[in-house]
Amino acid sequence: MRLRLSLLWAAVASAVGLLVLAGFFIQTPILIALGGSLVGLAVLLAGVALLLGLYNLLSVHLRKISLQERGWPYSALLVLSLLGTLVLGVFFGPDNPVALVLFNSFQLPAEASLMALLAVTLTLAGFRLISRRRDLLSFVFVGVALLVLLGTGPWPSGETSDTYLLIIDVRNWLAQVWAAGGARGILLGVALGAAATGLRVLLAADRPYGE
Amino acid sequence: MIAQELLGPAVLVLFVGLILGFAMLGRRWPAVFRPLHGLEALGAAIERAVEAGERVHLSLGTGSVTGADSAPAFAGLAMLSRVAAATAMSDRPVVVTAGDGAMAVLAQDTLRSAYDRARAQDRFQSTSGRMLAPTPFSYAAALPTVLANEDVSVHMLIGSFGSEVALAADFGERQRAFVLAGTDDIQSQALLYVTADHPLIGEEVFAGGAYLNVGPLHRASLRAEDLLRTLIVASILIGTVLRTLGDLV
Repeated sequence: MRLRLSLLWAAVASAVGLLVLAGFFIQTPILIALGGSLVGLAVLLAGVALLLGLYNLLSVHLRKISLQERGWPYSALLVLSLLGTLVLGVFFGPDNPVALVLFNSFQLPAEASLMALLAVTLTLAGFRLISRRRDLLSFVFVGVALLVLLGTGPWPSGETSDTYLLIIDVRNWLAQVWAAGGARGILLGVALGAAATGLRVLLAADRPYGE
Repeated sequence: MIAQELLGPAVLVLFVGLILGFAMLGRRWPAVFRPLHGLEALGAAIERAVEAGERVHLSLGTGSVTGADSAPAFAGLAMLSRVAAATAMSDRPVVVTAGDGAMAVLAQDTLRSAYDRARAQDRFQSTSGRMLAPTPFSYAAALPTVLANEDVSVHMLIGSFGSEVALAADFGERQRAFVLAGTDDIQSQALLYVTADHPLIGEEVFAGGAYLNVGPLHRASLRAEDLLRTLIVASILIGTVLRTLGDLV
């Protein structure tokens, strides 16, 4: 019985995937409409899954609070913030002034700070790379990154000097010839890998929806 | 015009044919893949984590199921089935996080199936597959707590990420965990090259299933990818030579 159900889910998933794919290649009104409806249904289900995700998030943190695990006060803060903003959003809409103040005062600065932290993290990671992986590629990587940085950012002085112009030329040559060529090669591999992953789901070799 | 419209389906049919063909040839003509240090060292790292009573964490990224960037997360889910089986007998089974609710649900389903196959149904907990946070940077901000509280010693990032992946990988390095990370975004791959101990570059993020022996179609699809890439590169080179000769004449 369980095997039959598993086969049924696989058949449904493959059939739906093939229909949407067919609508992409064969531009007939029926296939386009059918594909659009199925994608719309998927988006709707993903919306419901967001609610399930929120429930999951709540249950993880409520469990931590009830067991008083390490860091439970942070979980309590998260649950209170989640419920507070949820109530605000549901009853007064996402555009209400209090929700906007909360977003602009907490969420936005926190994410901007993390973005700033990223710059520091990358600088430190660059030094760590040289100490950890002392091979030619690592030195080339860090050397090119420094050159591109010098050729992109403003200089305090000497922006008309021959050195600056030379660095800009080298930076453009690296970005337009080597980096663009390499990126296209990587993109080719990524596109083929993504297509193969999708095809494995269509062939029911990968069944992320369970068995 | 008609030839151009038929090109897409023709390549797709060729791709499927190659995958099925290589899958059938797989036993008689086994695949030999180039060494990928990160994926090869993963098995030993997971064994060490299981023996030490530490946890394996798999992040499926901040992309959504319905987005165009869902493919690497699906590759991560394929690896998850294998990792879950390897950690099923551990006191602390694998924990999976995602930035999307639907992806967290798929992670739970994959975990449940893997534990069913390993006859370790009692290991499954719905909180092992979690949605951490819906935005990229809030997801990254939530990661250190997971890594520290769950005693994570193997930190895998296999999914769709933006620049937040550098922070996500760095948090793992600070925890002194084994960090294996790959994504589909080129700029994020460059960040991973610097921050992760074992970065997966290019299509390597999709090769995990083949290297972890998830199934014959994984190995077959990797061989099909290699063959198709060779054909595409050859056609680009031939086209370039013909165009150059045409301009010269």
